[in-house]
Amino acid sequence: MTALLRYQSGLLLRSQRWLAPLLLYAAFIGVGVQAGEPVLGALGFASAALLPVSAWSVRICLTQEPPAARSVVAAAAGRGRAHLAALLTGAAWPVLVGTVAVLAVTAIADRRGVTALAAATAGLLAALACALTGAAVGALTARPFLRAPGWSLAALVLGSLLALVTTGSPAKHAMTALVTGARTATADPPWLACGGALLLAAAASALACRATARLE
Amino acid sequence: MRLEHVGRRHGLRGPWVLREVSLTLPAAALVRVVGTNGSGKSTLLRLLAGVDAPTEGRVGGRPARTAYVPERFPAALPFTAVDYLVHLGRVQGLGRAAARARAGEWLERFGAGEHAGTELAALSKGTSQKVAVAQALLADPALLVLDEAWTGLDTGARAELDTAVRERLAEGATVVFVDHDPRRLEGEALVVHGVGEGRVRELTPPVAAAGHARVAAGPAGLARAAAAGLVPTAPALPAAGPEPTAPRVSATPAGPAPPVRITVSGGRSLPSLLPGNPTTAPGPDGTTLLTVDAAHSDALLGALLAASWHVHHLGTEGVRV
Repeated sequence: MTALLRYQSGLLLRSQRWLAPLLLYAAFIGVGVQAGEPVLGALGFASAALLPVSAWSVRICLTQEPPAARSVVAAAAGRGRAHLAALLTGAAWPVLVGTVAVLAVTAIADRRGVTALAAATAGLLAALACALTGAAVGALTARPFLRAPGWSLAALVLGSLLALVTTGSPAKHAMTALVTGARTATADPPWLACGGALLLAAAASALACRATARLE
Repeated sequence: MRLEHVGRRHGLRGPWVLREVSLTLPAAALVRVVGTNGSGKSTLLRLLAGVDAPTEGRVGGRPARTAYVPERFPAALPFTAVDYLVHLGRVQGLGRAAARARAGEWLERFGAGEHAGTELAALSKGTSQKVAVAQALLADPALLVLDEAWTGLDTGARAELDTAVRERLAEGATVVFVDHDPRRLEGEALVVHGVGEGRVRELTPPVAAAGHARVAAGPAGLARAAAAGLVPTAPALPAAGPEPTAPRVSATPAGPAPPVRITVSGGRSLPSLLPGNPTTAPGPDGTTLLTVDAAHSDALLGALLAASWHVHHLGTEGVRV
């Protein structure tokens, strides 16, 4: 698995396809977060912006290989494992970027009423919940379920939006926790939302990895 | 490795490409797949390699070390040739140093050593095909699936690939291939599977005739070759005269060939699935007596020698040598 992850990360980094989602996220943060703003609200925004970026990153990793190269890897490592490696790579980089963003936002925002540690913990959990929900959206709207690029992208944008506003979505739950906390100046770590997102992402990837050798 | 009632269709409601495919791939055997364009040869090969899963039926016993060379390899990947091979070598379970050494070695063997540092996207079609073939041979696969792998290679590289295939066979691997050239590895295929109209049927390969003739003419010679450590697959011995190239089925003579008896001893435990499914009986002095169809005798000998068995005697049944 390590070799597969290394291969997928090599593909992502050397092809420079990581740049566009990263720029989008930087733009979100640049526009939406200002220094001196209440910390929990800013963290909620930084986490929410991570969701579509994570979905996009997963889609990039799933589609970056030409079919011939994908077949070669599938024969050597198994189709499901190769798909899982692409999903993990696509989800890992947004988590890393989200972590950096949360720490930076915690450092520059107004922390009145909450300790830096409590804010960072709540922010990291919310970022993880959003990144994982986004990864699930990406996994379900790309290969092997939707192969036409137009439909796939449309479903990805719509799915990301719905995941942010639908009641019951772990991402929405995590953001609500932060935004409510911002009003009362109490940082409640969204453990439940994070666990839910983890389950959702695991279920989506299990489904995708099982389906890939059958549907394509 | 075996396929049981395997069927494959594209997507959930697409047309069936293959149905009711049941076949067994013996160890240390060269298997040729023939069929017209679009008949489903590539689909069968993808099922065998594990690239695609069957829509119905079961595929069992695929070796862990499987390698596949696709039909076209226009890999627009952001790696140099050697970096790509190192990545693939590591995916196939090699360490970094071993993967790098093997990558260089195979690129040299195929005459692409000077392109090791070239980006894959900048390679010519032939050199790119050499990279595709090299990745499959990096980690000594136990199942090698070649989908027109020779296409696009220069003459030297084609001969090298023939040699590499024979090396894999000698080490007990199964090699399955499709090639549009009917003379490719002619007379060496143990089994020929014909794909057509969504079905796969086993054709009797010309090697049955050649193998029978060779064994009947000189089993002692074969045994000597065996004792000398040579694996008596076809390349070690001259083919029994020129063979017609097409139609391939017509090369089979009428009437069944007498079975071949092989007396062996020692060695490691045998693989459960031997080529030709020989009957086993205890022989004199603690040896084992294997009786097999003449058509499968060469492949069986190859498998036995690959497992370090000592061959004492070889002869056709009912004929004293």
